[in-house]
Amino acid sequence: MQSNAALEYDYSVAKLFTYTAILFGFVGMLIGTLIAAQLAFPELNYLLGEYGTFSRLRPLHTNVVIYGFTLSGVWATFYYSAQRVLKVSMAESKFIMFLGKFHFGLYLVAAVAMVLTLLMGITTSKEYAQMEWPLDIIIVVIWVTWGLAMFALIGIRREKALYISMWYFIACFLGVAMLYLFNNMEVPTYFASGGVGSMMHSVSMYAGTNDALVQWWWGHNAVAFVFTVPIVAMIYYFLPKESGQAVYSYKLSLLSFWGLMFVYLWAGSHHLLWSTVPDWMQTMGSIFSVVLILPSWGSAINMLLTMKGEWNQLTENPLIKFMVLASTFYMLSTLEGPIQAIKSVNAIAHFTDWIPGHVHDGVLGWVAFMIMAALFHMAPRMFKREIYSKKLIEAQFWLQTTAVVLYFTSMWIAGITQGMMWRAVDEYGNLMYSFIDTVTVLHPYYAIRALSGVLFLTGFLMFAYNMVKTMTSSRKLEEEPQFSSPMA
Amino acid sequence: MFHWLEKNPFFFSVGVFLVIAFAGLIEILPNFAEASRPVVGLKPYSVLELAGKNIYMKDQCIACHSQLIRPFKAETDRYGQYSLSGEYAYDRPFLWGSKRTGPDLHRVGNYRTTDWHENHMWEPTSVVPGSIMPAYKHMFTNVADIATAYAEAVTVKNIFKTPYGDEIQPGVEAFEAHKPAILAEAQKIAAGMKNQDVKDAVKAGNVPEIVALIAYLNRLK
Amino acid sequence: MEIRELQGYASFFMTIFLVVMLYWYIVYLYRSEKKGEKDYEKLGNIALDDEIDSPPINTSDPLPSENKEQNK
Repeated sequence: MQSNAALEYDYSVAKLFTYTAILFGFVGMLIGTLIAAQLAFPELNYLLGEYGTFSRLRPLHTNVVIYGFTLSGVWATFYYSAQRVLKVSMAESKFIMFLGKFHFGLYLVAAVAMVLTLLMGITTSKEYAQMEWPLDIIIVVIWVTWGLAMFALIGIRREKALYISMWYFIACFLGVAMLYLFNNMEVPTYFASGGVGSMMHSVSMYAGTNDALVQWWWGHNAVAFVFTVPIVAMIYYFLPKESGQAVYSYKLSLLSFWGLMFVYLWAGSHHLLWSTVPDWMQTMGSIFSVVLILPSWGSAINMLLTMKGEWNQLTENPLIKFMVLASTFYMLSTLEGPIQAIKSVNAIAHFTDWIPGHVHDGVLGWVAFMIMAALFHMAPRMFKREIYSKKLIEAQFWLQTTAVVLYFTSMWIAGITQGMMWRAVDEYGNLMYSFIDTVTVLHPYYAIRALSGVLFLTGFLMFAYNMVKTMTSSRKLEEEPQFSSPMA
Repeated sequence: MFHWLEKNPFFFSVGVFLVIAFAGLIEILPNFAEASRPVVGLKPYSVLELAGKNIYMKDQCIACHSQLIRPFKAETDRYGQYSLSGEYAYDRPFLWGSKRTGPDLHRVGNYRTTDWHENHMWEPTSVVPGSIMPAYKHMFTNVADIATAYAEAVTVKNIFKTPYGDEIQPGVEAFEAHKPAILAEAQKIAAGMKNQDVKDAVKAGNVPEIVALIAYLNRLK
Repeated sequence: MEIRELQGYASFFMTIFLVVMLYWYIVYLYRSEKKGEKDYEKLGNIALDDEIDSPPINTSDPLPSENKEQNK
């Protein structure tokens, strides 16, 4: 066996993605806060001329937080943790290093192009797949590069068994690849019409109801394979590592994995209940959404039980706090989702603010918390300095938790109010409210939501400041911490 | 067998792929032929309407407005007949939306007029007090991209067999030849508007975005 | 047979098949641990002991260890 004395894990690519996660997190949440405020105070629509209206900015918000913040976070943690669970360094292969850097470079180009085209209104209008065809092609190249880097790392691994996190990363890669390709099948009109009009425009290969089916098959599973699968991969690595406790039941984690893979895809059509999609598909979507509680809770409970007998860490270590709350919010939103997918509930909930409310207890409480905790955990190891301030993390935790609670409670009330008012009839069976009545009544809830956005954004700024200070001016560490991250 | 799945990344990936692809194969693919059949009498969008649809997409009206009337009494009372699959046969992409911050628009052409839209897009609160919709004044000056809309019509005619007439042909010359017809249609919309700049622009051969958008909204019935 | 009907049968049997596989996998997991062929819970330590020079956790895997012996 050769000597590995000089060999170290190489975190250069993980660092790059950490920077973009912080940058895009800030941009995405800033836009999110602005558009939340616009709903309460419409004058805010005119800050940037035609580029500042709610409608133009809303897709920018979703895309920047999904593809900017979340994917950066996913890849930062991937390039960090994959090396470690496979016990192989990226520095061992020039090819893998090149792939990693190329992956990042192209990603940055695509992300900037995405922001610009969406601001200009160049969009396919399919939610979470708004990028036009030239960007789609770049995205495919980025995705393939990531796949190559991942399988190349796996190819030279020393640890023969793939840790459960790697299972989830592989599933993320495969799932998104398949769904994204199918959903973005489109024909560029410039080339199909003999050179008339704009080069950027394209039409979808699918029309009407079919397009809706393919889109929500994607839209729902973008949530599955970007917001759930890789985040579960993170928590399976970072919670045990930070707490020093092995996963409570490894077998349960394997089973929940297969359960999640099997069930998740079926649930896509629950976005189309009561639409013109065939009934049996709506019913399938509904049923499988409810079944989906099982594998989701399997993972979440497994995480909570990992802390069994070690709950004192919850008070001592703020990162554990973040991760435990993240799994709790994961349980909440995976219970809430199936409830909304029940047809009779959906009849009231669909099209209302309850839906963004549901999305945000997932993405703020689960995704963002988990990514921030993971990046905090990685920082002392990547930059060889202790975390700048424990107090700041504590303050950030409470601020952001308050923000999430304010967000989903206000949107629950807003959504149900709106849903009930739309269908309210008087004693003669006539509609009781005109549409605008159901809008003006929501003003206080929109204002609360805007406030919660400001709180969460402030918390994120504290996170960013803490990270930057950690990188630059915190106390240096002599050797790598084994479990809990050192912080001042 | 399970041993192989756990140990061999290749077999593992194939296994995962089969499990996740299976739902799609069953749910999505075989349904296509049936669901894409248009309802009787459905006409494809005119080039001007397509340009309007592209503005609907550009300014993302879809962020707040749905185009899907569900089969409940409360919805049919408010918006009209519930939506049928065949009505969307020429919608590429579908624009159902997922959020109703504003009302549904699938049949807005039945109860709103050119003149109403003009006032509403210029200053929403002038016709709907309390509205939180932003004004879209830039649509009165920005020029709609008719050429791209024409290219879209050519594309769907040639590739997806959408039944357009012989006037829709590939190439820049064919577009120039068809342009007077598009302008004539725009003129009709502009005649119903009061904004003089818009009327002048159409006369000069430019179609402001608002004209195309209203053509599209009037078509939604 | 109509395509819808085929779809129905395909989804029904495929679901049954995958459910059976899932349960079989549960049995397999516990049985192979009982027989001492594998120790799944040990794999959880991959996340804890992940220094680059620490020895691989997974040594209970029958195939590679047999090969190792042959290679010696």
